[in-house]
Amino acid sequence: MMIIIALSFLLITFLNFRAGRSKALKIRENTSIHSLPEYYGYYTAFWFLIPVTLIGISWLLFSESLITSFVLSNLQKEIVNFNEIQTLNFINDFKNLSEGRNITGEISLLLKEAASLYSYFSTVSNTLLIFACLSIGLFGFYISINKVSSVFQARNAIERYINYFFLASTCIAILATAGILFSVVFEAIRFFGVVDLDDFLFGLKWSPQMAIREDQVGSSGAFGAIPLFVGTILISIIALLVAVPVGLMNAIYLSEYSPSNVRAYAKPMLEILAGIPTVVYGFFAAITVAPFLRGFGEFVGLSISSESALGVGLVMGIMIIPLVSSLSDDVISAVPQSMRDGSLGLGATKSETIKKVILPAALPGIVGGVLLAASRAIGETMIVVMAAGLSAKLTVNPLDAVTTVTVQIVTLLVGDQEFDSPKTLAAFALGLTLFVFTLVLNYYALRIVKKYREQYE
Amino acid sequence: MEEELDSNFKTVGNIRTEKSVIMNVEDCNVYYGDVHALKNVNMEIGKSEVLALIGPSGCGKSTFIRCLNRLNDTIDIARVTGKISLDGKDIYSDYINTSGNMDVVLLRARVGMVFQKPNPFPKSIFENVAYGPKIHGLCKDKNDLNNLVESCLVKVGLWDEVKDRLEDSGTSLSGGQQQRLCIARAIAVQPEVILMDEPCSALDPIATERIEDLISELKQNYALVVVTHSMQQASRISQRAAYFHMGNLVEVDSSNKIFNDPSHPLTTNYISGRIG
Repeated sequence: MMIIIALSFLLITFLNFRAGRSKALKIRENTSIHSLPEYYGYYTAFWFLIPVTLIGISWLLFSESLITSFVLSNLQKEIVNFNEIQTLNFINDFKNLSEGRNITGEISLLLKEAASLYSYFSTVSNTLLIFACLSIGLFGFYISINKVSSVFQARNAIERYINYFFLASTCIAILATAGILFSVVFEAIRFFGVVDLDDFLFGLKWSPQMAIREDQVGSSGAFGAIPLFVGTILISIIALLVAVPVGLMNAIYLSEYSPSNVRAYAKPMLEILAGIPTVVYGFFAAITVAPFLRGFGEFVGLSISSESALGVGLVMGIMIIPLVSSLSDDVISAVPQSMRDGSLGLGATKSETIKKVILPAALPGIVGGVLLAASRAIGETMIVVMAAGLSAKLTVNPLDAVTTVTVQIVTLLVGDQEFDSPKTLAAFALGLTLFVFTLVLNYYALRIVKKYREQYE
Repeated sequence: MEEELDSNFKTVGNIRTEKSVIMNVEDCNVYYGDVHALKNVNMEIGKSEVLALIGPSGCGKSTFIRCLNRLNDTIDIARVTGKISLDGKDIYSDYINTSGNMDVVLLRARVGMVFQKPNPFPKSIFENVAYGPKIHGLCKDKNDLNNLVESCLVKVGLWDEVKDRLEDSGTSLSGGQQQRLCIARAIAVQPEVILMDEPCSALDPIATERIEDLISELKQNYALVVVTHSMQQASRISQRAAYFHMGNLVEVDSSNKIFNDPSHPLTTNYISGRIG
């Protein structure tokens, strides 16, 4: 039903386009006209489609809660002694019933009445919506087609609307970021109502299990996040130690040394590496690398945990090699050929030129790429969930099992959880910390890049 | 006027220099893939003289100059044949024999180059000039290096302008200053020949005049090969001039002869402004 309505609105839009264009064509028969006829078509179609879309979206956003409150106010007498939870259940039940879904429990008369009221109001609302959209859209069309004349500058008007269009897209991205941030912040504030900020940020013990009943023993809950931060940073550093040298050197090889036929094969291979899903890296780490490391440890007499930070870091490093490599490759290729010629012309060898001229000139971009890779490593989830440990041990020994912020967030939120216990809310606090950390990292990355850029430009 | 000269065309004028010979080019051909960009060029380059290379765009001047320090090696598809020698030694000898008597790094230290667009490194002014001496180990200590940098900057007339800000980035200078910095950078490795590929085409008239004065001073100690689009400039600065046309070296002679009484009709046309 909705699809048919949407399609017919699109059809009307198209007809409006034809109407605007044919009016412009008719004007053009006798006199010259400011813009191409298509622009007048776009103009009239636009003035139909945009009001319709705006009204439709806002109506759909608010109509459901409005209908629900209508239903409730109609049945005020019957539900007067419901408490808050009963009311919520009641609303859920009659919505499900009216849409023909199964509900648990018996279907009372009251519920049936509510459901029929709900579907009645929904139908009214939808009909009203269609009429409202049509009338306002056609009004817009009427206004706009009257504007079509030989002097009307439809081309400029369309240009202006396109500007708004892009602005709107940008706003969506920014609003989404703000929305995500706020949702995390509010949950985190609830968490910090229960757990001290100091205890969270500087506490050395992480043990989020809490007693649910009074008589349970043990687990009193400890939310010191330092072990998680240390674990995250340890794994990230190992990953960067792998990815930065390898990625950078391979970027240098590809952009400076490799013959074009080698480059033609090597570059797509690297892109394949970038396209492997992280879950595949995860079992590569858990099934291949970790046992190999443990076996190697036994061979040389080291005790290497089967969930060691080293194994996870190595695999994560391999994962971000393409990121470092392709970003570095871009900035190295962007160094002007005249720099290379200048250095070679002074009798420098290729490697001297790379070391002393090209890398310094490309450094800002490389630093930016490395910091990007770092924030990727810090936020990486799948590999660590699959291959890193769960126990929050405070250690910097790469052969030991450590856990990370993302692993803990996943563990805290997986399965059935009550969303008001500190244990669950801790996940949001961790998320917020991660967010702030990455933000600070990016800020400093940009600062460094800017400083170098001033020096080199 | 755009027709090619036939394949066994011989350069008119005088390919010999009156000064003592520093570089000698024999039967030099350059191919970029299938394109025959430079055809059978024979010429001597003499010490203490300025040789101007003139001709319309795409005639092979830059290709020729880039053969003299083997900068064409950096272009994958470029192929150079013939014999070019510096002080009698074939500079392309390691093409045939890797243990040849001239390696490309040493060659480029002896044959310096200044480019069309000033290309100072994104380093300090001091480091720009010190770059060459450092990679070739020309200076015994820091003091030695300071003196060398100062003397090079003095030679190009930049010292007074930059002595208080040697740590500033080379790219912070004006275009003309940057080009003089590039010349200072080139002479810091004490070359014998300096190649200049349209050194003034990105500069304003005043900066151009300073570079021209500098070229005239430098010719006391160096052999200079200067590509230029400006006939006036060529006649002001050069003692010999060579006219290239579609890959051929048409005529080479003393500047006086070329600019006042050229022998070949193509040269006459170019000089009088009918082509190019």
